[in-house]
Amino acid sequence: MIKLIQILIEGSLVGLVYGLVAISFVVIYRASRIVNLAQGEVLVFGALFLWTFTLGLKAVGWEVPLVVSLALTLAACIGFGLVLERFVFRPLISQPAFAIFMASVALLIVLRGTAQLIWTAETRAFPAILPEGAFRLGPFLISTPLLIGGLFSLLLALCLHAFFTRTRYGLRLAAVAEDHRTAMSLGVSVRGAIATAWILGTVVATAAAIVLLSGRVVSIEVAHIGFKALPVALLGGLESIRGAPLAGVLIGIGEALAMAYLDPLTNGAASGVLPYAVMIAVLLVRPQGLFGWKRIERL
Amino acid sequence: MLPTGIHFESYAAETRVLKTLRSRIWASALALGLLCAPLFAGAYLLGVASEMFITLMAVYGLYVTVGMAGQINIAQSAFVGIGAFAAAKLSSYGQPVFVVIPLAALAAGCVSILFALPAVRVKGLYLALTTLAAQAMFPIVIYALPASWLGGLAGMPVEPLTLFGADLGTPTGFYYFTLALVALLTISAFRLQHSRFGRAMMAVRDNDIAAEVMGIPVMRVKLMAFFVGSLFAGVAGACLAYFLQFVTAASFTLFASVWYLGMLIVGGLHSRLGPILGVVFITVLQEGLHKVANTLMQAGSGSGGMLFALTSIILGGCILLALIFEPRGLAHRWAVLRNAFQIWPFPRN
Repeated sequence: MIKLIQILIEGSLVGLVYGLVAISFVVIYRASRIVNLAQGEVLVFGALFLWTFTLGLKAVGWEVPLVVSLALTLAACIGFGLVLERFVFRPLISQPAFAIFMASVALLIVLRGTAQLIWTAETRAFPAILPEGAFRLGPFLISTPLLIGGLFSLLLALCLHAFFTRTRYGLRLAAVAEDHRTAMSLGVSVRGAIATAWILGTVVATAAAIVLLSGRVVSIEVAHIGFKALPVALLGGLESIRGAPLAGVLIGIGEALAMAYLDPLTNGAASGVLPYAVMIAVLLVRPQGLFGWKRIERL
Repeated sequence: MLPTGIHFESYAAETRVLKTLRSRIWASALALGLLCAPLFAGAYLLGVASEMFITLMAVYGLYVTVGMAGQINIAQSAFVGIGAFAAAKLSSYGQPVFVVIPLAALAAGCVSILFALPAVRVKGLYLALTTLAAQAMFPIVIYALPASWLGGLAGMPVEPLTLFGADLGTPTGFYYFTLALVALLTISAFRLQHSRFGRAMMAVRDNDIAAEVMGIPVMRVKLMAFFVGSLFAGVAGACLAYFLQFVTAASFTLFASVWYLGMLIVGGLHSRLGPILGVVFITVLQEGLHKVANTLMQAGSGSGGMLFALTSIILGGCILLALIFEPRGLAHRWAVLRNAFQIWPFPRN
């Protein structure tokens, strides 16, 4: 019983981190109707920016305080998001979904190549931003960075949800997510929306990178988290920010249970296949996810 | 556009692929050139050509699913992988090649139906995500299956290709083998446009609701589009298994799928010529890069990792540029050029 509850706790905390990555998918979709497959690579870029401004600068003899390096990372993320908007997604405004989707796939390859060219493919230590260690709560062991990350993810989801549903600008972004051309004809700036989407997306992804990687190692392989978070975003509903942490917890628990009870029987495949099996099941049963917008087509 | 003075009196003539005498002469010259290639090309060039033909088969499959039916599929490499593993398994039982290839194609087709089922309920982006799931699950499942079934982590050796006792494992033999297969698949892909099924697929692509109203069974056409596209992938997979004489799940990645889709986009999504132009263009580019990188490495600067990075950046850049500046691909450029040639000396509009 204690083992089961321990598994549930760990699963839900890891799931909240997936939820955080999923939020970065959702903010981009919610503001611009772009499903960005390259989100894992964007996360890696954020992590590498932070590495450059902390350990990287330290290696060349310029030690800066953590606050300054975080500010520099934030600035770099915003610049990066704006570059993506200007050179990739602005020319594709009002193009069919297929073109935009393929552009994000192409972006995935380009970013991966660029990261390798600039930072090389080696693995490197990531600075420990969050406090290390774990504490005991009764008979259970809880990892501190994961707990902080989970709480942060919940808080962020609530704030972003309020931004998208309660503020004037957030609601305008929803018009862009509905249809680029219609939004433009209503006087909503699609460029501005896409720029906002990318800035939010890169910043949230970098926050996720900090929670995920704090005190561990970073390499281009970390980008796989993007594909793990995609089923989470889909289960929660691509338009729903509050749905992402909930779906993250569901998938995290499912994965932890599969890892503990099914993996020994299936040679380790169950936990790997589970998120994608859930994704296909969601698409078959409820394509809009738990809280997404249902699109109705009539003649 | 046709040159002046060419007109047709029957539908059969209208649907012919090679409409004019001149185009027939050019096509025969191309065929003759391809047939004579082993006389003057070395083993390396023949190998590159064989690999290009195999890629072309897979891209034809994508042309059917994505270009004609409009169903996004980014798992083509997983379906090629299923064909390759099926071929490896069947050939290890000592089955001859003319049994192996159809069965491998069928295996890929049947698995693709499984992942196309959500296409009944969703379209566009969401469908792309389903196929992405197929691509992500493929290596996990192969690695987890018992090693005695499909080789597991280590992979599986494949018997060299023989046909009626003749050894086709040599570069020349394999070149002719893939050439014959790719010619067959080219004809079927080109003819598909004029078949009832092909026209149904294009109707579904352009507007599925209108297609439904016209009495086209949209769901069945969508599933069939995946099935037929994966048949091509299965043939490509079987050829790849014979070509490499070894299969492992590590060679059928998301990246390979994106390469295939990228070739189709660069070549032209909705044009029959698109797959050919795209595959030739990207292959030439890639081989050129390899040459440059090899010279660089011999000169002592650069490394293998840089080559991979550069290839990624250039391929991704090509797809992005094609999407932004020429969504109709190289095939459109080619059509413009050909028209200018045909109506010369009149100015093109």
